[in-house]
Amino acid sequence: MDILSQNSNYVVTGVTLILWLGLFLYMLSVDKKLKKIEKK
Amino acid sequence: MDKLLKYGLFIWLAVVICFAIIAPIPAVGSMGERARILYFHVPTAWVSTVAFIMALFYGAQYIRKRDILYDYKAASAAALGLMFAVLATVTGAIWAKFEWGAFWNWDPRQTSIFVLILIYGAYFALRSAVESEEQRAKLSSVYSILAGITVPFFIFIFPRIVESLHPDPIVNSSGKVKMDTNMLIIFLSSLAGFTGLFAWMLNLRVRIAKLNMKEGKV
Repeated sequence: MDILSQNSNYVVTGVTLILWLGLFLYMLSVDKKLKKIEKK
Repeated sequence: MDKLLKYGLFIWLAVVICFAIIAPIPAVGSMGERARILYFHVPTAWVSTVAFIMALFYGAQYIRKRDILYDYKAASAAALGLMFAVLATVTGAIWAKFEWGAFWNWDPRQTSIFVLILIYGAYFALRSAVESEEQRAKLSSVYSILAGITVPFFIFIFPRIVESLHPDPIVNSSGKVKMDTNMLIIFLSSLAGFTGLFAWMLNLRVRIAKLNMKEGKV
């Protein structure tokens, strides 16, 4: 736990980047699905 | 090109996140590390303002052209604006807990954004209360224009005319930006990134609305 508290900024950065990646992938998949339906 | 923009936005915001949390920050009053909230809280508030103004614009366009698509655009912009306003309120409340000692203090900034959330919450209550599509579009367009007119007052004027604990706005009362250059670069990059994210979200919502219109689901 000491490692986490000593590097808290890096931990927060990692968590935020994972959240952003998740949101980005979700939006990208919605975008792709929409394009497919629009083509139909 | 379209794909390039989306991946570009991902990389842009990822870099902003890294710099915003890791880059050294100068002493800002007594805030220390807590000043980093600026990179996320202000852009969410900014995006909500842009979204509400866009809802006003699309509402006015509907009144002028009577094209139902403008009504869906206005509703989409207002929904996103509401979501970003809630995000700004939550991030601000967490910051307030550590800076002021309580999540909620009825500070003018908190009060004004709370009133805006109520105003736009009522917009969606109005929309869900009217069954006729045309009637709903007409009423909510007029409402979004009236609501949009109050936005500059609640965001830019009210918090500046009442005593507040809130840190100085980015452009202070003398009309100058008083911020460390590195901080300003990260802040402006974050502002641009969040605006791009909002544009993409709005684009998705409008396309979904268009498809629903074609299917006759709305």
